[in-house]
Amino acid sequence: MSGFAWTLRGRAWVFGHDVAVDGDLMPLDFALRRETDPEVLRHHVFSGLDPGLAARLRPGDIVVAGRRFAQGNPHIQGLLGLRGAGLGLVAESIPSGSRRNAVNAGLRVLPACPGATAEAVTGDELEVDFAEGVFRNRTRGTERRWPPLPPPLRAIIEAGGWEAAFRARLAHEGSAAQADRTT
Amino acid sequence: MPTAAEKILSRAAGLPVRAGDIVHPIPDLVTLHDWYVTHAAAALDRFGVAAVHRPERVLVSTDHEPVATSPAAALRQRQARQVATRFRFGLFHDVGRGGLGHVFPVEHGIVRPGMLIMGYDPHLSNFGAVGALGLCVLNEVTELLACGTVWTEVPETLRVRVHGRLRPGVTVRDAAQRFIAQADPALVDDAVVEFAGPGLAALGVDRRMTLVNTTVELGARSALVEPDGVVAEYLEGRGVAVPSFVLSDPDAVFRGEIDLDLGAVTPQVALPPRPECAVPVEEVVGRRVDHAYIGSCASGFIEDLRLAAAVLRGRRVAPGVRLFVTPVTQDVQAQAAREGLLQIFTEAGAALTVPGCGVCAGGRIGGVAQGEVSIGTGTRNDPGRLGSADATLMLASPLTVAASAVAGVVTDPRTLPEAWS
Repeated sequence: MSGFAWTLRGRAWVFGHDVAVDGDLMPLDFALRRETDPEVLRHHVFSGLDPGLAARLRPGDIVVAGRRFAQGNPHIQGLLGLRGAGLGLVAESIPSGSRRNAVNAGLRVLPACPGATAEAVTGDELEVDFAEGVFRNRTRGTERRWPPLPPPLRAIIEAGGWEAAFRARLAHEGSAAQADRTT
Repeated sequence: MPTAAEKILSRAAGLPVRAGDIVHPIPDLVTLHDWYVTHAAAALDRFGVAAVHRPERVLVSTDHEPVATSPAAALRQRQARQVATRFRFGLFHDVGRGGLGHVFPVEHGIVRPGMLIMGYDPHLSNFGAVGALGLCVLNEVTELLACGTVWTEVPETLRVRVHGRLRPGVTVRDAAQRFIAQADPALVDDAVVEFAGPGLAALGVDRRMTLVNTTVELGARSALVEPDGVVAEYLEGRGVAVPSFVLSDPDAVFRGEIDLDLGAVTPQVALPPRPECAVPVEEVVGRRVDHAYIGSCASGFIEDLRLAAAVLRGRRVAPGVRLFVTPVTQDVQAQAAREGLLQIFTEAGAALTVPGCGVCAGGRIGGVAQGEVSIGTGTRNDPGRLGSADATLMLASPLTVAASAVAGVVTDPRTLPEAWS
């Protein structure tokens, strides 16, 4: 798994608390259509909050969000869109369904960073190591540390998200037809 | 020192686990519903998976749209039957053969205390009413079907000590709504909420289902009630062998311990946009109602139908109001028939729909139009849940819903003492 870029360098995009996964982060319509292509979804992230924002995002930019980011019915589309845009996510908290979806989307994420929104304003230059949990604001010259995801979840992200990890598992283990494990 | 959830997951994973561990447990049962099973099959095909792990332990219930009322729905049902045959699903409960899949597996003894059930729906928490652990997985249910397991982070447990007794005119639904309105979302998030304590002795398995169902709306991973003599009696009454219960150890490490005083609860109405936005009924009394429904995996049990029937007996649904009643399972409908409840509903001018999710499943049955106001016992009230996103959706207990349907305006059921005394 070498070569995976766990450290991102880019601009901060800072959001407040309770950004909804449906509506704020991604139009609900994509969830209802079960659209799961990150390349399609990337063009619609945050359209409920700022319709022009997706076009201004650059790969490597980092979303810094408050509490309960991506709250609501845990649809994966908003998280897939963030990953498609090449972003990282640093959030004060993420409700569990969306946290799971962030991992399954293959999104570089630090999901439990109390006080993160006080550590940057939109436009600051950031450098975040998502494997080690190190957050550097290069504009301010400050550094914070928060817990990274546990290694098994980082392995899913390194693989490219759940779909890719599952394909790898199938290739390795085979499906039930070949390897029926009973307890 | 493990919690009940840790013990259940330890057995399923084949190794001792603690909260925070990431493991691959093998569930005792996997459940899917009629609106997802065809998507699951398409995903299996997309990944080239030809056979499912332990298909005899896969349960499919036709509950979201049991009566196909469009060519597309009829086709989807046909496809679901073909999928069930092709993948050899062992527990296919089609139209008329069970009802709502979060409930009849308990009634039928398919789900028993201490079991681990995984599937595509947050309301698998219902199985916690008998001390089983239901965990929701989303798109990765495909991996669960193909490989028998999928990654699972062992959840922490939040212990809730239930005490006191519900006052007249107040139901367990009110207690559950109040609980999610008052609890700190950060404390509940991703936890298994475990209810225990002296207040539970008066709550049968139906009422416990309401409690564990509503709790997940605030973001709990799942919920369960510590099994006890009530559960043993329930199982014995159905001819199901009573296993030794899986309980949290006295020195188990919980995320927190909080209180729920049933005696302090009053009738609640959840306002838009979310179930936890509950207020005392007094704040909305008199508000016009166009649409009312009793049913869902939260509140469609025989106890709920008895409460509603007590209000509706000898009364009529108000002009301009339509009331739908959906027994949650075939067994509940049969029991309601034996007790004469269906006759009461019918004579009151309510519309009965077939067992299953009823109105709550997206309003495909008896939905709402723009500008309408609904009060019902469904699980959620997000805008658009019952059809038009411009309708106002409120949630309440079966007593409050029935009383409001009769009056045509939101009504405090305590003003109808003859109904519940």
